[in-house]
Amino acid sequence: MTFFLLIFPPLLAALIATLVRPYRAFVGWIGAWLSLISLGASLVFVSQVVNGQIPTWGFKLEYLNLEDVLRADSLSALLMVCVTGVASLALFLSPGLGRQVTNPHWGELAYGSNQLRRYHVFINLFIAAMLMAVSANNVGVMWITIEATTVFSAFIIPLKLNRASIEASWKYILICSVGIALAFVGTVLGYFDFVTLSGRAENALNWTVLLATAPTLHPEVMRLAFVFLLIGYGTKAGIAPMHTWKPDAYGESPAPLTALMASSLFAVAMYALLRWKAVADATLGAGYTDSLFIALGLLSLTIAAFSVVLATDYKRMFAYSSIEHTGLMCLGFALGPLGTFAALLHLVNHTAAKSLMFFLVDNIEHKYRSPLIERTRGLLKTMPWTGAIFAFGLMTLIGLPPGGIFITEFALFRAGFALHHPWLMGAALALLAVVFVSFINHLNKMLYGVPAADDINMERPVEKFSWRLALLLIPVALLVTLGLTLPAPLATLINQSVAILSKP
Amino acid sequence: MIGYLLEFSQALLALLLAPLLAGFVRWVKSRLQNRRGAPVWQPYFELAKLFGKDVVMSNNASWLFRVAPYIVFASTLAVTFLIPLIAAPLPFDNIGDLLVVVYLLLLGTFFLALAGLDPGTAFGGMGASREMTVAAIAEPTIALSIFSLALGAGSTNLGQIVIATLTNPGVALSPGHLLAFAAIFIVSLAETGRLPVDNPSTHLELTMIHEAMILEYSGRYLALIEWASWLKLTIFFSLLANLFVPWGLALTLTPAALAIAVATLILKLAILGMVVAMIETRIAKLRLFRVPELLGMSFVLALLAVTSSFLLK
Amino acid sequence: MNEPLFSQLSTLGSSVILLFGITLLWRKSLHAYTDAFQWQSAALTVMFVIIGYFGNDPELYVVAVFLFVLKVLILPRYLERMEKRFGDQRESQPYVNIVTSLMLSGLLVLLAYVVARPLVLVSDLPTRGGLPLAMGLIFVGLFVVITRKKALTQIVGFLVMENGIALLAALGTFGIPLIVELGVFLDVLMGFLVMQVFVYHIHSTFESIDVDQMNELKH
Repeated sequence: MTFFLLIFPPLLAALIATLVRPYRAFVGWIGAWLSLISLGASLVFVSQVVNGQIPTWGFKLEYLNLEDVLRADSLSALLMVCVTGVASLALFLSPGLGRQVTNPHWGELAYGSNQLRRYHVFINLFIAAMLMAVSANNVGVMWITIEATTVFSAFIIPLKLNRASIEASWKYILICSVGIALAFVGTVLGYFDFVTLSGRAENALNWTVLLATAPTLHPEVMRLAFVFLLIGYGTKAGIAPMHTWKPDAYGESPAPLTALMASSLFAVAMYALLRWKAVADATLGAGYTDSLFIALGLLSLTIAAFSVVLATDYKRMFAYSSIEHTGLMCLGFALGPLGTFAALLHLVNHTAAKSLMFFLVDNIEHKYRSPLIERTRGLLKTMPWTGAIFAFGLMTLIGLPPGGIFITEFALFRAGFALHHPWLMGAALALLAVVFVSFINHLNKMLYGVPAADDINMERPVEKFSWRLALLLIPVALLVTLGLTLPAPLATLINQSVAILSKP
Repeated sequence: MIGYLLEFSQALLALLLAPLLAGFVRWVKSRLQNRRGAPVWQPYFELAKLFGKDVVMSNNASWLFRVAPYIVFASTLAVTFLIPLIAAPLPFDNIGDLLVVVYLLLLGTFFLALAGLDPGTAFGGMGASREMTVAAIAEPTIALSIFSLALGAGSTNLGQIVIATLTNPGVALSPGHLLAFAAIFIVSLAETGRLPVDNPSTHLELTMIHEAMILEYSGRYLALIEWASWLKLTIFFSLLANLFVPWGLALTLTPAALAIAVATLILKLAILGMVVAMIETRIAKLRLFRVPELLGMSFVLALLAVTSSFLLK
Repeated sequence: MNEPLFSQLSTLGSSVILLFGITLLWRKSLHAYTDAFQWQSAALTVMFVIIGYFGNDPELYVVAVFLFVLKVLILPRYLERMEKRFGDQRESQPYVNIVTSLMLSGLLVLLAYVVARPLVLVSDLPTRGGLPLAMGLIFVGLFVVITRKKALTQIVGFLVMENGIALLAALGTFGIPLIVELGVFLDVLMGFLVMQVFVYHIHSTFESIDVDQMNELKH
């Protein structure tokens, strides 16, 4: 029942959006309020899981065994909350909810009614697919839903059809589809491994079954399978060197979608990787997957760090920041249980921080003419509220206290030094310092100074505090809370997840 | 003793059959094009005519020009001693295996190209460079394809390869064999100057590859070179026939077996001749820069043949 | 059942399927690509039927029917429609020229043999001989996506890659569970439809379907 309440609301919202022609604002509002039901369901799951239950759902027909097809353990519950939280925020802050947006950068009205309808259909489908991905027990179903997210998001990246957005979305759909296909090769190889050992079984693709039989699987095959899976799901997560679609896609898509992609979709891709990492570690021992994660994580950090220095467009800058955090998280997951704890907490914090940044970017973009950093000056003067939250969010993102990310980065480095990786941690610290400096530099350029007159959309000269800005204070509050303390339910949840992922 | 007799008679048979094969292919082509065409034994008349004529040589030609026809003819004739035309194994198998065959053929091509360059005419140089382009990709392909068969048979000895296929008939339909057949078929079309690589009956010099190299030749030299090219056609067809469909080859040296072998050989050559004639009637000549693409495809086929035979090991 | 015959048929079928994939690197016209994909999918359907027959698995017949309907009937029809619109655009200057592509594809097949060695050693199914060929097809599909300039060619390369994965699953495990297989088909169809929509957008915005033209988004 709770699964139904989790996944059905966005599907219903998508259905309503399809049926209502032309698009009306109430469709968006219905979708937004429905998403709160999903949020509620995920919180119910969290409470159940923290108390030690593992809810499952499935059915069994005579020739089709779908028992336990949906399963919510601690890791799933953690991710459900991440996804539904950002989804609710995104839906409330979506275009088409009564706010008329104009932006000279894009042309008269930002979006026509057809585009809004398309947006609301597909963003809800996108959210539903992500929720199914994290609640699926069957790795095949998980793959199907993650591929579905690629397709659904690709429909709305080029919401405004211009050369740049089409180029970005073509790159996105092609690179991600090819990557996901490679992940499927890995899935097939994992199934192949199981089949050669135990024969074919209908539920062989269930993660629980795979994990149970993992110690007996063939190491060489699992090594090969994991490489494919890492490349495949890593493309979706944005791990270098498969990250090339990220700056373009984040730069050109509408901001709420970017916020969802940067926080939730990325988390779902990491979730898929983690599920398979648990299986591979049970077969191969942790060393192999850890070294792969460290290599790719360091590469991501390096590429991202230097790209941030050279960034000229603030949306792309945040995309590179995402890649940097991806790298950090990969490093964290490779550093044993301590590192995994830090990385999971980092995942939660990053979800909050990145989505906050992209929602703010939405506001900034509607005010200023272009996405270039040089043309975006004087934020504190023209948009005091947005500018202030922007500054706070950015400083949190680069790891300043009292943000949660400071705590998680600290924990990560502590784990790294505890496991005797001084050089690795030193390199990571140096790269983080590079990112720190360049971000502060860019922030200074954006916050202060006097904006040129033709750079700004003078429709609403001074920003007033609205309910939209009030909503944005929620992630701010979350980040501050997580920076000062770790609430007990969250700690239990993450501890349980670490236990799941580090089975011997 | 009887083995050597067999060898010489095999070479003689090839020599005598070659013009007949060339004439047959021409005749089938003309019939397909709704013409009456020259009779099947026209090439014999051509040879007789050419041997009777004088040689006219350019003043700029050197000794190479005079020697090349003999080398080409000799090397091609030498190959007929080494391939299983009517019987396997052959006593000369110890002297020459597949690599010797491939490089003897290449020797002929090499000298022909040099002879094309020798008189210093523009067309000769053009033909020589084109021929070398084709040969550069074709030769490794032949070697690779027959090598894939050799992997299956366990030896590069052509007789052994044939016997291996005869003792294990199922292997004739294996992917390795089929791929190798496709590869050698494309290469034969290239090496013997057939469409779609080169039109043997063209009279436009700018479209020629093989003909351009021999434009300057006349008289007995031309006769030898033409005979050598028909012999090459016979060799390639016999390789295609006997390596991949070896049934009918004489394994024992009784008159009955040899008679059957000669008959099946003529039958296989006739079938292959008809197939090539049909292909030539249907396909247009490829532009020169597209020829490496075709040959590249045959190279990949040969490579795949080798990898699949290797896997069977 | 008759194991050696099954083995040979599966290896033969896989070689044919791989050859259709390599044809993508050889030919230049979009029509040739559509044809190659259609024939390849037909051969794949036959493979599924053969494996279902010899492996005693009736589920594979269902999968074969879906495969046929989707990849031999529906997708080629869309591809042909696109071809009518953009068919005059030939792949005249890919990033890697044709001869080099063919040579590289040979090397990719060799690489696939090396990569798939542990799989062949571990498996005891009679179809394991075709596993490296399926892996080779995946690599060749990937190569086509990377080195070709026309958006339509990239789509066909992606579809060929999916065929390779289906073949790998069929040869290695006699097919993945039916539910997952059907979901995969749905995904491929949706992915294709999205890409198809995009090709039309690309054409109307850039006046060509050359991916090279899309180079605005740099750093």
